[in-house]
Amino acid sequence: VLRASVAAEEAGVPSSTLVCEGFLGLAESTSVGLGMPNIPVAAVPGHTGVQSKEELRRNILDVTMDNVIRNLVQEPQAATEESEPGARDVICGGTYDEVNRYFYEHELSDGLPIVPPTQERVEQFLKHCNRDSEEIIGILLPDSRAATIWSIAVNGVMAGCRPEYMPVLIALVEAMADPYYGVEHSGNTPGGETLIVLNGPIVKALEFNYTQGVMRDGFIANTSVGRFWRLYLRNVAGFLPHKNDKATFGNTWRVVVAENEDVVKEIGWQPLSADMGFAAGDNTVTISRMTGGNHISSISGSTPEEMLPYLADAVVRQYSWQIMFTVGQGMGTLRPVILLSPLIARAVGKWGWSKKDLQQYLYDHARLPAHQWERILRDWTAKPIWNLEEEWRLGRIPKAFFESDDPNRMVPLVWDPEDFMIVVTGDPARNSAYVFAHNGVLGYPVAKKIQDTKVAPKSRASQKKGANVTAA
Amino acid sequence: MAISDADGYYDALWPRSPRQVQLKPLAKRLDTLEGKTIAQMWDYVFRGDEVYAALEEGLKERYPNIKWVSYKEIGNTHGGEEREVVASIARRFKELKVDASISGMGC
Repeated sequence: VLRASVAAEEAGVPSSTLVCEGFLGLAESTSVGLGMPNIPVAAVPGHTGVQSKEELRRNILDVTMDNVIRNLVQEPQAATEESEPGARDVICGGTYDEVNRYFYEHELSDGLPIVPPTQERVEQFLKHCNRDSEEIIGILLPDSRAATIWSIAVNGVMAGCRPEYMPVLIALVEAMADPYYGVEHSGNTPGGETLIVLNGPIVKALEFNYTQGVMRDGFIANTSVGRFWRLYLRNVAGFLPHKNDKATFGNTWRVVVAENEDVVKEIGWQPLSADMGFAAGDNTVTISRMTGGNHISSISGSTPEEMLPYLADAVVRQYSWQIMFTVGQGMGTLRPVILLSPLIARAVGKWGWSKKDLQQYLYDHARLPAHQWERILRDWTAKPIWNLEEEWRLGRIPKAFFESDDPNRMVPLVWDPEDFMIVVTGDPARNSAYVFAHNGVLGYPVAKKIQDTKVAPKSRASQKKGANVTAA
Repeated sequence: MAISDADGYYDALWPRSPRQVQLKPLAKRLDTLEGKTIAQMWDYVFRGDEVYAALEEGLKERYPNIKWVSYKEIGNTHGGEEREVVASIARRFKELKVDASISGMGC
């Protein structure tokens, strides 16, 4: 909303931005990173979502309208620039406790103790990459700060990472800066949290857990790299709770999920890295933002046909309003991630099922009645225009969403079978799965190779109608 | 912070990174809205359609000759089309002879 107003102002057209009362602080923080800290906003009393038609109308006429007029005809106060430390400045000297207190009080840590980022420790991290420490990987919104190799090392130290994780951290920030991912949406209402999937020999080389309890803290590599992600979002992208981070409830950061490539190879499947455009065996990170998920316990049966109806049903149950990313905001960008325990993957694979077969099964069976789509998006969540027939007639969605006008027809959850992302990991001895609810275009999957040079395959987002199209 | 005080001295570095954006000037404000063309920009959520209907009604009473460019002319400023739509704003405003703009809904 503010980005549109900034574009208007840059075009020489005055703007007024309509902001609900509870979001005025967010607008104030975001406008700084956009270079217009004095851009005017017009407050909307309360939240529009819970007001009657008449109440909303009165609020707009009695309060908001005067603000809009003022915004457009009165010169706002001149903006001032706040001074900040330099990129390599020491900002605090003291004991461990004093440093931690300073970082916490200045909103530079997540509330857990940090490892003090000293020059010596940062240099140890820099030795594990062949990159210029001044190199800028990208500019991260909302703060518009430079994502530099140096700042990656500093935050890696703070998170408790080991210096040898540095190439993984760099690949993660390359992914964070990729426009397809959409880091700028990381502070939005659902408070989704990034899922990081690691592939390649580096899983074993750096001792990432890829078996039982793979999403549990307790393994330094998985845990500290997951923490690094959130610290970097905080310190460099600029997502601070009560400011730019407006998660309604939020989540804490997720530990890194590493895939069990031994099992993947054994059953003749390809790892997620290959699904994302890299060669099997490449070291990669894949990120996508998830609004939640659920453990799917005790998948039972002796054949895929017996086991998979339960999984397909469970996938559907993770999705509600998120289907707006299938038809609505970010057409066709919903990418559910499913973790399969090795036991289930082997049980499906032994019947000759490939990963593509499994994806096709989920596409065919993880479906919702058409009337349910329209009820969720139009009637329940006040998205006023979503209508499957209309969207199909406008050529905006595939035929699968309007094969007849029967309101009970079953329509798929995603546009293409390969939109389901399958990862084999977790306890090899258990017959379970985990299904994540994806945040669509506001956290679209992006993968990067872990190395010292940038190699980015063409993102599938560019092939989706209406998805972000800026090249990486 | 349960570690004892006898744990050394640390010179801790700044974990942020310099902002890469300079202060940008705002557009010159109008002297009145009477006779002016106002563009509506919308992210297609939080009842912006009703909000714009109310604003049109109220502003028409104060400024009888005010003109509007509907959000339908501009496109969705959020989600999958955001980058494309935001990038087109300068051009579209010029084509549509827009004098001022309103953007919603930040909720």
